[in-house]
Amino acid sequence: MRRLALAVIGAGLLLAPLAHAQEESETPLPRPGWSFDGPFGTYDRGALQRGFQVYQNVCANCHSLNLVTYDDLGPNGPGGGIGYSEDQVKGIAAQKEVTDGPNDQGEMFQRPARPPDHFVPPFPNDQANRAAHNGALPVDLSLIVKERAGGLGALPWSANGADYVYDILTGFKNAPANDKLPENSYYNEYFPGHHIAMPPPLADDAVNYGDGTKATTAQEAHDVVTFLTWAAEPTMEDRKRNGAKVLIFLVVLTGLLYAAKRKIWAGVH
Amino acid sequence: MADTAQPGPMAAHGHAGGTRRDFLSIAATAVAGVGAACAVWPLVSSMNPARDTLSAGAPVDIDISRIQPGQQIIVLWRSRPIFIARRTQDQQNLVKADKDAGQLRDPQSNANQQPPYAKNVFRSVKPEYLVLVGICTHLGCIPEFVPQPGGSLGPSWQGGYFCPCHGSRYDLSGRVFQGVPAPYNLPVPPYHFVSDTQIRVGENPPDSTFDFNSIDQI
Amino acid sequence: MAAPQPQSKLVRWIDRRLPIFTFINHELNEYPTPKNLSYWWNFGSLAGILLVIMIATGVFLAMEYTPNVNLAFDSVERIMRDVNWGWLIRYIHMNGASFFFIVTYIHIFRGLYYGSYKEPRELLWMLGVVILLCMMATAFMGYVLPWGQMSFWGATVITNLFSAIPVVGNDIVTWLWGGFSVDNPTLNRFYALHYLMPFVIVAVVGLHLMALHTHGSNNPLGIDRKGPQDSIPFHPYYTIKDSLGLGVFLIIFCIFVFYFPNALGDPQNYIRANPLQTPPEIVPEWYFLPFYAMLRSVPDILFIKAKLAGVLTMFGSIFLLFILPWLDTSPVRSARFRPTYKWVYWLLVIDVIVLGLVGAHRPEGWWIVTGRIATLYYFVHFLILFPLIGIFERPLPLPTSISAAVTKGGGKLAGASAPMEKP
Repeated sequence: MRRLALAVIGAGLLLAPLAHAQEESETPLPRPGWSFDGPFGTYDRGALQRGFQVYQNVCANCHSLNLVTYDDLGPNGPGGGIGYSEDQVKGIAAQKEVTDGPNDQGEMFQRPARPPDHFVPPFPNDQANRAAHNGALPVDLSLIVKERAGGLGALPWSANGADYVYDILTGFKNAPANDKLPENSYYNEYFPGHHIAMPPPLADDAVNYGDGTKATTAQEAHDVVTFLTWAAEPTMEDRKRNGAKVLIFLVVLTGLLYAAKRKIWAGVH
Repeated sequence: MADTAQPGPMAAHGHAGGTRRDFLSIAATAVAGVGAACAVWPLVSSMNPARDTLSAGAPVDIDISRIQPGQQIIVLWRSRPIFIARRTQDQQNLVKADKDAGQLRDPQSNANQQPPYAKNVFRSVKPEYLVLVGICTHLGCIPEFVPQPGGSLGPSWQGGYFCPCHGSRYDLSGRVFQGVPAPYNLPVPPYHFVSDTQIRVGENPPDSTFDFNSIDQI
Repeated sequence: MAAPQPQSKLVRWIDRRLPIFTFINHELNEYPTPKNLSYWWNFGSLAGILLVIMIATGVFLAMEYTPNVNLAFDSVERIMRDVNWGWLIRYIHMNGASFFFIVTYIHIFRGLYYGSYKEPRELLWMLGVVILLCMMATAFMGYVLPWGQMSFWGATVITNLFSAIPVVGNDIVTWLWGGFSVDNPTLNRFYALHYLMPFVIVAVVGLHLMALHTHGSNNPLGIDRKGPQDSIPFHPYYTIKDSLGLGVFLIIFCIFVFYFPNALGDPQNYIRANPLQTPPEIVPEWYFLPFYAMLRSVPDILFIKAKLAGVLTMFGSIFLLFILPWLDTSPVRSARFRPTYKWVYWLLVIDVIVLGLVGAHRPEGWWIVTGRIATLYYFVHFLILFPLIGIFERPLPLPTSISAAVTKGGGKLAGASAPMEKP
């Protein structure tokens, strides 16, 4: 009786994921597999740095990354950064300019960015960004990977935010014959509705990788998604590492508690 | 309702299994205690300065090329006012002569209020530029820069700093006079010359490891 | 056996002036508890511990959070990235809310199965419903604080509900908002109240425990303790059992916190609130889904518009719980001895899960009918089935006593048939 009831509850709870899975996209999302997948996942530092390059040279022309500071890339960053030294961080920051002030004359002025500054956005505000893009807003990318995750009911092995962004970046195709593509839209296999306002951003050799990795579109997409996943959650490695310690400790403690409970209750049963 | 419960099966338990049960209980309690302490630690640690706060406390580079002789600018480092004063040749000579040393509390700068490379009569790396933390060592007001001799501070005033809150006085090297409420010389922050026109406040020169947190009185 | 006389002189000095040690000894150590409590009785203490965890993490989060519409979202991200261990404290607080509801719902359903709401524990049950209401208010306001898309739009939808009240509805909504829409004044007052409510919950939990200690715990057999042979002292038996339950709970909890921290949340809340852009689906957190389903299920009834009817139904479903002790007419407490009620109980469980699924989906197609049937069943279950089953059911004979049932192998009739017991 109880078993039957529990089975029904279990079935009910398993039905829940079907509710949300693939509801928006008709085409199933492929899952390329990531270095940060799973309970022991880590961020591949090489991919992070190449991904940063892709972001800086391609995406940053339209998309801001407001929640990340240049300092975050270096050794003082959350989770230890993406592997750049403090001097490299200073150099990266100094390539951009920020508005500061007012000075003693009451004027605002431009100065090179410093490591504690947040990533300099491509446009001073959203309205300027929209105006430059036919009314469409290239969204801030700091949390894009978390925003596009599966949500309640998504099973751990189903497509997540990183997969989604990767699929969008590699999913640009020629529109099929019967598709009416509106103006300022591009056909994308995996974008819900297939009509996306962003032109294909990546191409082979769009970026010059310093470490010799071949810069195919897929590689660029893989690297920039790794970087963006890091940007959304730079402390992920800390989280998983501490999780292992905590769980091992808890298993040991619960084992002790169980033994103590059995001993104390031995007379009563 | 009985206050204590002593059902039959319990009595047989006695001391036969007593030590094993006690060891388990003690072990479980001890491990749980360690766990509780480890669980509390992140909460306590979260109150320490966050990364962005520490990052904002990083050294600042100041352009000193526009400071005229006899002038002072004030910049912020770690939310504190930093005085950067450019001493004139006359002022440098005055300091070197050190005639008022007898009226100072700590003319030799023996108290730990400055890095070792600023422990001299000028209390600075170069005689021409004075870098101080502009917080009175009495109760924390910001002293006024009064470089002109005489004036309302009396005929014997040679120039220096005057704190309006309780009347403390410091000389042109930031050394405190006797007979005023302030107990220590004005602190000197870690700094060094990146170039002839740039001072980096908050960072020691490469050969020094002075810890600013060790000073006696901010 | 607990030593009745406190040991050290200091303890005795304090105890004579403020008998806190005697109190703890009496209520925690010696306190007689039925010896047959199952693990379903762990969930009360789990809820209490989770309340402490939520308050502790909440206080430290409050040190870093800024309740202003322009700064709130960024302050939360600062906690995640820059504050030492901030990501951990935030994830514990976020998942702790979900687990607080999981634990409390199980605790409630335990009470429903074993008749823990029946005489003399009616007030104990009602205080519990008060705690549930306070938890729901606290959780709702807490979810608004990060100022994500779901924070803002969930707040908009739920506060708009109050406009369904005739005559004064719109004034009440404006008063709640402190403005013309959910905006900075709303966020600020939700922050103040979210900080306050948990301490109200602590006070009501205190009353809840006082009511509990008056007659002691119910037990799986649903029959009263007859004497010392039916009880064991709370310490060490249930202190260790509760600790074990806590250990198991923490393992499951930490798996979520450290490995699936966002599984129970809505990814859309990682998007900054945008008053000019409604998300494709506005869904509350999972623990509100059954109530959300009821809210949306009710159509126009007679002269009452659907919106008001839905609001009344939703609040009615919770207030119904208050009068539960008087709806159940059965003289027998535990479902173990109530063959008909046992089956019907599981129907309620399934119904609540179905309601949750309905709440997660857009109200279209089959979901509408399903939602209406499930909502109707909820009220039929409590208002019709509860009284009727109690009257017409033939319960199984109850055991003579707890210890008799326990020593003879548990739960079934011991010895010669005894007349049916009135608990």
